[in-house]
Formats: sequence, structure tokens, C-alpha cells
Amino acid sequence: MPPRPRLRLSGVISGKFDFEARAAALFLLPVTVVLVAVAVFPIGYSFYISLFQLKLTRPHRVPFVWLDNYAKILTDELFWSSAWRTFSFTVMSVTAISILAVLIALLLNETFRGRRFLAIILVAPWAIPTVANGLMWKWIYDSSFGALNGALLQLGMIDKYVVWLGDPEKTLPLIANAFVWKEVPLASILILVTMKSIPADLYRAAKVDGANVLQRFIHITLPSLRPGFMLVFIYETMMAIRHFDLFFILTEGGPAQASHVASWHIYVETFRNLSFGTGNALAYVMAIVTFALAYFIIRTLGRRL
Amino acid sequence: MKESTRTRLGCREFLRYSSVAVVAGFLTVGAATTTLAAEESINFNGWSAAVDLVESHITAFEKKTGIEVKYGNLPWAQYRDAMVTKFVGKAPLDVMWVSDAWLPEWAEAGWIQPVDQFKELTKYNSDVDKFCTDSMTYKGQQYGLTYYTDYMGFFYNEEMLKKAGIAKPPETWAEVVEQSLKIKQAGLSEYPLMLAMANESWLIEFLSAMVFSQGGVFTDDAGNAIMQDPKKGAVEALKWVVEAVQRQKIVSPATVETGELAGLKSFAAGNHAFALEPKYRLRMLNDPKQSQVAGKVKQILMPKGPNGSHATVGWMRFYGVSKHALENPERAKNVVKFVEWFGGKAEGEYRFQKFLLTDIGAGFCTRPLFDDPDIRASYAKYAKIDIIAEQQRLARKKDVITPWFGEWNEFNGAMWQSAILDQISPEEALKKSADKWQTLKREQ
Repeated sequence: MPPRPRLRLSGVISGKFDFEARAAALFLLPVTVVLVAVAVFPIGYSFYISLFQLKLTRPHRVPFVWLDNYAKILTDELFWSSAWRTFSFTVMSVTAISILAVLIALLLNETFRGRRFLAIILVAPWAIPTVANGLMWKWIYDSSFGALNGALLQLGMIDKYVVWLGDPEKTLPLIANAFVWKEVPLASILILVTMKSIPADLYRAAKVDGANVLQRFIHITLPSLRPGFMLVFIYETMMAIRHFDLFFILTEGGPAQASHVASWHIYVETFRNLSFGTGNALAYVMAIVTFALAYFIIRTLGRRL
Repeated sequence: MKESTRTRLGCREFLRYSSVAVVAGFLTVGAATTTLAAEESINFNGWSAAVDLVESHITAFEKKTGIEVKYGNLPWAQYRDAMVTKFVGKAPLDVMWVSDAWLPEWAEAGWIQPVDQFKELTKYNSDVDKFCTDSMTYKGQQYGLTYYTDYMGFFYNEEMLKKAGIAKPPETWAEVVEQSLKIKQAGLSEYPLMLAMANESWLIEFLSAMVFSQGGVFTDDAGNAIMQDPKKGAVEALKWVVEAVQRQKIVSPATVETGELAGLKSFAAGNHAFALEPKYRLRMLNDPKQSQVAGKVKQILMPKGPNGSHATVGWMRFYGVSKHALENPERAKNVVKFVEWFGGKAEGEYRFQKFLLTDIGAGFCTRPLFDDPDIRASYAKYAKIDIIAEQQRLARKKDVITPWFGEWNEFNGAMWQSAILDQISPEEALKKSADKWQTLKREQ
């Protein structure tokens, strides 16, 4: 019986892939290694950690608890209330951002003197660092020396200084306002770019057919903005759900849990309580929800693209 | 051909040089280890406070003993997390500043060790206030020596009281209400009492001071929650705050968003007649460069409730010693010397504690220092030392310091705020807080 030829790995690879494919794989290898090290491994490892009752201050007792951390989260009243607050914050923020972005884009889409200057002014909030933005709004909302109270008092709209962030009814809308202010410029640019791509012929034809401004807006502009809206909805929804900075700077989850949103909940659990097991489980839940929402938006808005 | 020769020579050279480097490396490491073993330098970590003072005291220690100290500091806000990470990562830490709030957590984890066996350190206990030693003690063992201490003090603006026709500052919480209403009616201040009730790390100090002075406690001797008990617990104190904010309107409704520093600035701007503040703030409040009410701010004993006393809460920051420090007897000996130099006496006197008070106004535990002429002269510039000493004698350790303190504290702060905002009743808030306490205790 003749000896069987030994199968060598290099032989198999060179037999299956041509030179170009092998060279491409070789060039892709370094970046793949980096991606695995900095993205894939941490994502996998964080899931692994979420299966343990890992509290950094209890280093000698780290039991494997299967999915108990997830069960604990889903039966926690504070988790559901924080999820509801996140939902409210996201809805009010994304709605306001979308409406304002369309209005600004409509304005910037027109030709008038000073349009470029106005565009620069409108984009300025986007360039401000988030932390600086948070500190600025903290000063504006301050109940004893804030600019908002000062302005409203001078305009005669209030007769004495009002407590803003300390009022649980106002806290979330006020933080949403600061968030919208920062996010509107990018959304406006995305909408404007989409608006510019609408063929002028459509408007001319509609005019010929006797459509007024409002009809042209409803029947031509809005449907044509669908790709831009999809981008804005996905991006801003994800930003709003994950947003943390303003909650940290303005209220630290207060007063009385009025701004205790999901991202704050994760922060407290992970970095204040140092409970890495539940913290990672919470982060996974949040990631799944965000992914599901993005998928839903693409399936609904992107369906007819 | 030429190229291959060059390659072979290169390999040989590489091997030769690398062998020399390895040998040299071993020699250097060996020498360094020998030096380290001989000197046993100390790794000391603290937060970024009084850095110059600490450095100069370290320099004096190094000159005196010949022991090298490696000093590192971190901002207070990141200190606990950074230290926990270092402990978990087995960083070589020997001595570190520890807050009383972290003691059970760090002791349970085995990161800091008891110092009872070192008589050079425990001999100072006879000189310090009881709450100080209590604050460094966990499960009957002492875990360090004092760095600095302070307590919540009750201040008033003397000039404002005079303008309102009030001859004597309040002694009870009922009198605080009465006088505040008088000041409010006179139009001198919209919210005469400043309370900083933002949910930050200071909040538990404010709450404990209020609760203790009303005669209440959060927990019993067995560590069970009794804060919800209407007679012995914290209900009376919380009810008082809710009434002051919602009904009497002598405390601003913005109290839930007012942090300690913001409250201090507001009091320093002359907006209030009374304030509950850390005692060391008195120095700043009576400094004309920093305060508009300088020279007018006086301290009195904590007002007391119907069933309470003038008690307040005290806190402690101390020198803790790590497991790493005590593993090697030589290093342990040096560490004890270092801790004594800072927390005890250096060349026969409590030098560092004196420096802390005279330079930055930080308080001390050591009672003999109240008779020190330098200390008396320093305090005389902005306060009455007798009141300070008397109030310190009445200070008590927080009764909620446990391994689950941090987690409960976050929740408890939110519950107090909910009651202050009239979202739930004080009884309900404290019932929830007590339930949380018991749940965390069981989990532990």
C-alpha cells in the first residue's frame, strides 16, 4: 500500500485560495487582530462577566450565577422606571430634534443674504464639547443665579426665581432641551443634504399642477426626506438612549430619581456600586434594546427606499 | 553570498549583545532588589489635598529616617474607584488615606489590615475623641491612625439675627423655625436656613447630623434598620425638613439640587441666616477675601429636637495600612514609623495635625491640641475654640457604615429627596429605605 500523501496546511490554503486572496488575507490580518483584541474580545468578555456575581469590593466571592443577573434586572422596579424615563427622554428629544432639523434645513435651503453666516451660527452648538455644554446649561438652569431665571424675570414672565432642575416635573424636559440644542445641528445637516438632492423638476411640476407651498411640502419634500429621517432617527435614538454626560453633570440622576435613566442606572451599578456583573448585564440589555429599535426603524422607514 | 555572510554575522552579533544585555539586566535587577530590600521604600497614596504640606512632611521623614517614600495622589472624585482598581490589580500599596465610609468594604476585602498589634500606633488612642477611634474600628479591630477629622456644625449670621431683633441664637430646632420665620417676615432672607440636600457624598453627613440631634438613629446596635421607627428612628428629622421646605418655607425648595459647595457659597453671599456646614468651612466663611459675611458668622451647638441633644455627626479620614505593607517585617516596621510620623507624633509633637489646621483649617482628633497655643491662636482668628471643642465632644460616628453603605446611601438619598419634594410621606420614604437596608444586609 503506497504511503498516503501528508496534507499540509500551507498546501491546502494555496490550493483553495489564489495568490490575491492570500495576499488580501495577509494584509487584513493585522487589523483583524486589533479588532478582535479591542472590540470582539471585550464584547464577549463582558457577556462572560455578566454571568458572574462580580462585585469588585468582594474579590473573594465571585459565584457563577448563569442568567441570574438578567433575572434580577428584569424584576427590579428601578430598572423599569429608568427604562420608562429613557423612553420618555428619547421620544421628546428625537421628536424635537427632527422637527427643528427640518425647519432649519428648510431655512438654509433657501437663498438669502447672510445664509452662510446663519449656517455657521446654527452649527456652533455641535462644535461645543459635551461637558462644556453640560456645564453651560447647569449655569443657565441654576435656581439662584441662572440666566434663564434672570431672562424670564426681566421679561416679566415670572415674578420670582423658579427652581428648575430641582423640580422633578421639569428635570427631564430641561435635560432633553440641552440635549436637543447640542444635537440639532448635525440632524439639520443630514436633512439639508437630503433636501438638496430632491429634483427641482418635481417642485416645478407641482407648481404647474397648482400645488401651494404646504401641499408641495407635504407631498414632495416630506416623502423625499425619508432617507435623511431614517439616518436622523437611528442616530439620534441611539444617542438619546445611551446619553449620559448631561445626566451626570446636571442632576446625577436626581432629584429623587427624576432623571435616573438607563445609562445612569448602568453607571451607578458599575462604577459606584462596583457591581460589574449586573452592570455588564444591564449594558447588554441596553445594547439589545438599542439594536432592536434601530432594526425597527430600518424596517419601517427604510422599507421603501 | 556577501549578503548571507552579513546575515550570519548579524545573528552572531545579536546573540552576543543580547547575552550581555541579559546578564547586565540580571545584575541591575539584582542590585536594585538588594537596595530595595535594604531600604524598603514605602508607597503612599492619598487624594489631592494639602499636597505641598504632605510632600514637605515626607521630605522631613526621609531625612530623619533614611526611608524612601513614593507618594502619589489622585483627585478625591476618582480616589475610591482608582484605589479599588489598584487593590484588585495587586499594585504595591503600603499606606493610603482611607475614608471611614470605605473601611468595612476595604477591610472585608482584606485590602487594609488591622494595626492593633502596633503599640506605637494605638498608644495615641488615649489622646483622641471616642468617635475618632470608633470611626477607624471595624469588627472590634482598629485599622489606622487619624489623618484629619471634622463634624457638621451649625452656623448663624450674627448681623442678620440682630437686624431681626433676635438677641440669642437658637438652641432647639423649634427655635430655628421660630427665628427663621421672624427673619423671613422682616424681609431679610427668603429662605433663612440653608440646607444642602443634593444627592452627593455630603448628604449622609447632613442627614446624620439632623437625625442625631433629633435623638434618632438609622440602625440599632445589631446593625438592623430602625430608621423607620417613629420614635427612635429618623422619621422626626425627615418630617422636620419636609415641614421646613413645604409648609414653613424657611428652606429653599432648591435644596434637593443644592450641593454642599453651592450652599456654602450662597451662605457666604449673605443669603441665609443659618447653615448646616462642615465645621472647617468656618475659616472660609469668616475670610473677607472669600466671603461677604466675613466676621459675622458664628458657630453654636447643634440645635436639638424635643427628644434629642446637641449631638452631631463626625467623620474621619485616616492612614490605612495594606496587606502588602505587613507581609515583609522590615517594610512593616518602616510603615509603622511613617504612619506614626503623620498620624501620631513627629519628634515629640503632633506636627502634621497642627500643620493641617493652621495651613488649611482641617480639624484634628487629638484633644491635647485644643490647649496648644498655636492652635488656639489660629482658631481665634475666625472661631471660638471652646464651642468647637465642645461640639466635637458631642460628635458621633455614622451608624450606617457597612460594606453595603454605598449602595444603600444612593437609594436613601433619593428617598429623602422624594419626601422633601412631597412625592411620598416621610414614613413611607424611611420604610423603603429601611427595607433596602435589610435586603442589602441579607445579600451580604
